[in-house]
Amino acid sequence: MTGSAALKIKTAHTAEIIISGTWKLRGRNDRPSAHIKKILAKGSIASVHIKANNLGAWDSSLINFLVKIFEALDAKNISVRMDEMPVGACRLVQLARTSEDAKVRPNGRARTGTVDFIKNIGTHCRDGAEQFAFFCGDLWRGTRDFIRGKTRIREEEFAVILQDVGVRALPIVTLISFLVGLIISFISILQLSKFGASIYVADLVGIAMMREMGCLMTGVIMSGRTGAAFAANIGAMVANDEVDALQTAGFSKVHFLVIPRVLALTMMMPLLCVFSSFVGVFGGLCSSMFMTKLTITQYCTQTANAVCIGDFCVGIVKSVFFGLLIASIGCSRGLRCGRSAEAVGLATTSAVVVSITAIIAADALFAVIFSMLNI
Amino acid sequence: MAPKIEVCDLSMSYGSYVVMRNVSFAVQRGEIFLIVGRSGCGKSTLLRHLLGLRRIGRRKVLYDGRDINQEISGGDFYGKKIGVLYQSGALWSSMTLAENVALPLEMHTAMEQDEIDEIVSLKLALVGLRGFGDFYPSEVSGGMKKRAGLARAMALDPEILFFDEPSAGLDPVSARRLDDLILELRDSLGITIVAVTHELASIFAIGTRMVYLDAESKTATAVGAPGELLETSKDKNVVAFLSRGET
Ligand SMILES: Nc1ncnc2c1ncn2[C@@H]1O[C@H](COP(=O)(O)OP(=O)(O)OP(=O)(O)O)[C@@H](O)[C@H]1O
Ligand SMILES: [Mg+2]
Repeated sequence: MTGSAALKIKTAHTAEIIISGTWKLRGRNDRPSAHIKKILAKGSIASVHIKANNLGAWDSSLINFLVKIFEALDAKNISVRMDEMPVGACRLVQLARTSEDAKVRPNGRARTGTVDFIKNIGTHCRDGAEQFAFFCGDLWRGTRDFIRGKTRIREEEFAVILQDVGVRALPIVTLISFLVGLIISFISILQLSKFGASIYVADLVGIAMMREMGCLMTGVIMSGRTGAAFAANIGAMVANDEVDALQTAGFSKVHFLVIPRVLALTMMMPLLCVFSSFVGVFGGLCSSMFMTKLTITQYCTQTANAVCIGDFCVGIVKSVFFGLLIASIGCSRGLRCGRSAEAVGLATTSAVVVSITAIIAADALFAVIFSMLNI
Repeated sequence: MAPKIEVCDLSMSYGSYVVMRNVSFAVQRGEIFLIVGRSGCGKSTLLRHLLGLRRIGRRKVLYDGRDINQEISGGDFYGKKIGVLYQSGALWSSMTLAENVALPLEMHTAMEQDEIDEIVSLKLALVGLRGFGDFYPSEVSGGMKKRAGLARAMALDPEILFFDEPSAGLDPVSARRLDDLILELRDSLGITIVAVTHELASIFAIGTRMVYLDAESKTATAVGAPGELLETSKDKNVVAFLSRGET
């Protein structure tokens, strides 16, 4: 049993559509387009009468059919009557037809070609940079007011953020740093033992962890963990009008949301970085214990001789900067979030992508600067 | 005396999408002024402009005869002069209901903690939430969030209260209670109230005057007392709205 509609041309000016059978969304029903085409092709038809004959059960598939017929014929000024159809169907068709149209879609994401796509990326980057510059200005003013003691942050909230950014991140930082140390030493031992120089594995792991990998790995972890959390948290507040509510209650969103987060991450990053460097060295130690004849004392002495205070400071300086970068990007992406669940997801994704890219680019820049300064 | 709020020829848009053009009206001191219109016509958008949350041109929105941008940079506008209840309540989700109400008091007054606590429980009691102070926003219903949002909005007894659909999502008894509270706030504290609403019962019960935003012509088509507009307006959309479409 399926829904069928038969078209009968009665005279040169009138036609009839006879609806019969069971019209269900799950069945296969006649489509309106063929009938519409025929009626329009005839050219002279001025009125169409829709009738039911042996009409069984029906649902919105029938309403859809009728609405489509109405819309197509109305546009050509052909009158449509359906007074013999079930009353319920007539009423639903009427309701569907009286709904207002959205005239233009505001700021719609237009479906576009490749050229527009590239152009959009360009505008997107420009807008992003511009807004980030404004954000940095706000952040600078906010920090200045905070340092001068004009504003204060809520201690309880700050403590919670500090704990979340610092202590709660320890397990993952430990695991990743340990493995990174292990991997570096594993690979170096394989190469260095060819020259009988496996003792230098301690130098390699030590310098790599202190100078580069400690802060870089912490940076990547914190981008994915904390930067994303900042963006999602603030983004959800924007979507729920909470940020507007802050503003209309007389609080600055920068003081309230951004400064505690930036401060917390900037404070915690160097600590995490130092911790990560030492755990990495420990990872290196573990793997050389198994793969070489080095003793713990030999390894430690070798590390201590190889790593100078400069390497240590380089790592710390970079990690402070990375902390600032990750927190600012996370917060600014959150504040720019739209008002939907989807927008929160986008804000989070972009926070992670942008901050990982930014810290790696910054790391490269630091490498150049430090080599010019001979540190 | 200058009207409490004056809107002169305000146009609103999102990007290139125009929501409303050339809206003008004035809200007098001590009025309960309603912003009404069909769903999606731009009432919340108008409210956002009145609150200064979107960029506004010079001398488009005036408070006590002063430009809104001037008021905002003056510093005493938010929190002290105006209070806002958002459509969704917009409670700060990391704080309990009591902390939500207490925060403006802590930040903008020099009151002692115990006095703040007393005022917080008073405000919560006024909106029928006695004893819910320790609940987090995620632990209460939508209607309760809204009422807590109202308690927060009136924490500092501002001169003007803005409501976005105060009674949507409330049962008839609570909605009625809320209407009574709004009238009481106006009568006893002299607060000027601007509310967006759909509720016909409230429109006629509490509205001193209203502005009707028309989605078709994208402008304000009527300003006046609801009862008078129903009888005398020649605009068929206004009459249809005020008579539940029964004309
Ligand atoms: N962020 C936005 N970006 C683009 N357009 C928007 C945005 N917010 C709202 N609009 C559009 O502006 C118009 C007015 O929206 P608004 O939220 O002000 O309606 P409203 O009158 O408050 O409706 P309701 O009574 O349903 O809350 C709508 O047509 C909507 O599509
Ligand atoms: Mg709204």
